[in-house]
Amino acid sequence: MEIKNFTITKRDGSKDQFSLDKIMNAVLKAFDSVQQPVDLGSISQILSHLDISNDIKVEDIQNQVEEALMKEGYYKVAKSFMLYRQAHSEDRETLAKLQFLADYCESVNAATGSKYDANANVEHKNIATLIGELPKSNFIRLNRRLLTDRIKKMYGKQLADEYIDLLTHHFIYKNDETSLANYCASITMYPWLIGGTTSIGGNSTAPTNLKSFCGGFVNMVFMVSSMLSGACATPEFLMYMNYFIGMEYGKDYYKNPERVVDLSVKQRSIDKVITDYFEQIVYSLNQPTGARNYQAVFWNVAYYDKYYFESLFGNFYFPDGSQPDWDGLSWLQKRFMKWFNAERTKTMLTFPVETMALLTKDGEPMDKEWGDFTAEMYSEGHSFFTYMSDNADSLSSCCRLRNEIQDNGFSYTLGAGGVSTGSKSVLTVNLNRCIQYAVNHNMDYKDYLGQVIDLCHKVQTAYNENLKELQAHGMLPLFDAGYINISRQYLTIGINGLVEAAEFMGLKITPNDEYKEFVQGVLGIVEKYNKQYRTKDLLFNCEMIPAENVGVKHAKWDREDGYFVPRDCYNSYFYVVEDDSLNIIDKFKLHGAPYIEHLTGGSALHMNLEEHLSKQQYAQLLKVAAKEGCNYFTFNIPNTICNDCGTIDKRYLHECPHCHSKNVDYMTRIIGYLKRVSNFSQARQEEASRRYYATKQKYTVKEEAKANA
Amino acid sequence: MLKYVNTGIVFQEIPDEVTLAINISNCPCHCPGCHSHYLWEDIGLPLNTDAIDDFLAEFGNDITCISFMGGDADPKAVNLLAQYIHEEYPTFKVAWYSGRLRIPSIVNQTDFDYIKVGPYIKHLGALKSPTTNQRLYRRLEDNTFEDITSRFWKK
Repeated sequence: MEIKNFTITKRDGSKDQFSLDKIMNAVLKAFDSVQQPVDLGSISQILSHLDISNDIKVEDIQNQVEEALMKEGYYKVAKSFMLYRQAHSEDRETLAKLQFLADYCESVNAATGSKYDANANVEHKNIATLIGELPKSNFIRLNRRLLTDRIKKMYGKQLADEYIDLLTHHFIYKNDETSLANYCASITMYPWLIGGTTSIGGNSTAPTNLKSFCGGFVNMVFMVSSMLSGACATPEFLMYMNYFIGMEYGKDYYKNPERVVDLSVKQRSIDKVITDYFEQIVYSLNQPTGARNYQAVFWNVAYYDKYYFESLFGNFYFPDGSQPDWDGLSWLQKRFMKWFNAERTKTMLTFPVETMALLTKDGEPMDKEWGDFTAEMYSEGHSFFTYMSDNADSLSSCCRLRNEIQDNGFSYTLGAGGVSTGSKSVLTVNLNRCIQYAVNHNMDYKDYLGQVIDLCHKVQTAYNENLKELQAHGMLPLFDAGYINISRQYLTIGINGLVEAAEFMGLKITPNDEYKEFVQGVLGIVEKYNKQYRTKDLLFNCEMIPAENVGVKHAKWDREDGYFVPRDCYNSYFYVVEDDSLNIIDKFKLHGAPYIEHLTGGSALHMNLEEHLSKQQYAQLLKVAAKEGCNYFTFNIPNTICNDCGTIDKRYLHECPHCHSKNVDYMTRIIGYLKRVSNFSQARQEEASRRYYATKQKYTVKEEAKANA
Repeated sequence: MLKYVNTGIVFQEIPDEVTLAINISNCPCHCPGCHSHYLWEDIGLPLNTDAIDDFLAEFGNDITCISFMGGDADPKAVNLLAQYIHEEYPTFKVAWYSGRLRIPSIVNQTDFDYIKVGPYIKHLGALKSPTTNQRLYRRLEDNTFEDITSRFWKK
């Protein structure tokens, strides 16, 4: 081997002078370690096999040394050399973890410090959250291995390799790869109502009174959530609570809520008893949870108008043979919303995420009382989602999940059919990269997308097989006990970078025909494969993912690889968040029926406003949403929270109204849930500051213009 | 001829309405402290009944009110457009943000559902300021006008 002035590439990417001495030393040590003598001639013979080129990687040199040792018949020495390498690589991994630990402790907040799955739902950074962070990389490796092994079995090695290739080159993104559990679920609580938590491994029997219902409910939600990686929705929560209140204080309890029913010295009224239970449940469920990496559980509830209620629970029977009582529930729903809205001025309560389900007819809410109440609650500054449909055939019971109701029936073993749904797993397509890659390589982008999406469906099908195997081994009691049904849960194809891809294609992001056709074309491809792969047991849907951290990652990766990236965080809307030329009606149009048609898994329009509107104005906007077919939305007005005195105000202020401090933070809904802006990751905070809140100054006629008039 | 520079969907200007605001140019008021000098010039697109038809074709029942922001150089023209809207599109309310101290007598005030009067005077502030000289009136069923300026001062 000729010795020249080579450089080698070290593990961290830096260059170093090639040194033959170092290799010789390593080889001598390997011989030494197995007490095998060796002479210089043999060493030269071994080294003569090496083929060193400029900038060769350390790993490659070591591979060659292993092979050279074996070629010369020194098997024992080669084995020792390999073990030595392995020990060092384990050392390096521990070192990397130590480095991560140090960095995490230094980072400004938990979301910024998280390497793999930044999530603003973690409010504090401490030993508990750190414990959750450390094994994330191992989970990613494990999940990939589980999935690729299954793909190989089902579709062959080539597809498994393609999957990893698309994943590592960021054409697709596997959501929640840091957890082993299936994603999110809207559950029916009927199995719990009938049998308690024993069927999912708990020790409590069925609730029998209001007290055991409220206490048991909290435990049940914690248990269910610890077996999911995402949200847990309990669409029947208030309906069941109404039943238990009725059992305790009579079905018409709501007619006289001031009646004193607590004979202790406190002399509490029915209303006080009820709101005390609200407090117990809501505060308990907003606690950070050990089983979930010190995050609160992602708890969701739903409210219904009369028509949705009848459609979902018209055939429902409680264990005592009675049916749910609409008048009581209607009162209780309103009481809960009013209480929760007021409670949120005392402290920041993220959960439950609430969805109001309204049935519409001819562009107006059918149930006028509940349409009005929805507008009233928005005008009082309450922050919640509204789902509107002209047919009770679908429901959104969670901050992002929409489902087709396939079964409104009631069964004495499973309860109400319509509420049980969810998403087993989300696999997201980075549309911006896929489309740019195809166009840059002179391919038809629709053909190319079709290939990628087809692969996604196969991967999801493989995931489902793994899930079935877990279930077969009794690992998924939520399914076995009937809280959720494996064949009613969706496999979700997520999309991200849609607006950015459209901008790359030269389209204007306004309500115009070209953009509409582009959206329909792209989402239509997903829909086509969703239908093609659908079977009796496999359901697919398509969702524009909230992308709290994926949107930032995609933008960063794509920019590094030389793609056109117009912003630092890919949008999770059909419009550009920082675009101030679009008016509110344009935004409703861009989330209207033609755009969301194929988005079967839902996407929520976050209508960002700087100031609260009046009840009449919200009522009008509900009509606009109904007319445009924008079925899922919320109004988002940042709430002000004073860092000095803790005052919370529903308005978007620059100064604390109580102590006049300018040290204020805001609570907003950047993704599904309401959180302090300072809890979002650094990149998301920047997006939030650029986000366009419709304001009097910016959005509407300018103050100056008014002054001029 | 009236010309407009741009439009916007607004909520704060007219309480309880979802309003299409039309920013009219060639403003004669020239209030000291005005930051919209661009509206002093005679620029923009013609604001006539065709333009009104186009706006209503675009926004339809998504809005509840149309507001003319300015137009004091030709109040009669603003009046005619208000009349046109009420005749052709009776479900919509019509508002006028005028910078004059009072509405000239040639204007039939009952053609409007809301009228704002008063120039911007810096030390008194705009409508949100409780010391403002500006006033917003709403027409009642008996065609009298009620001062609803205090709606802007509510917290």
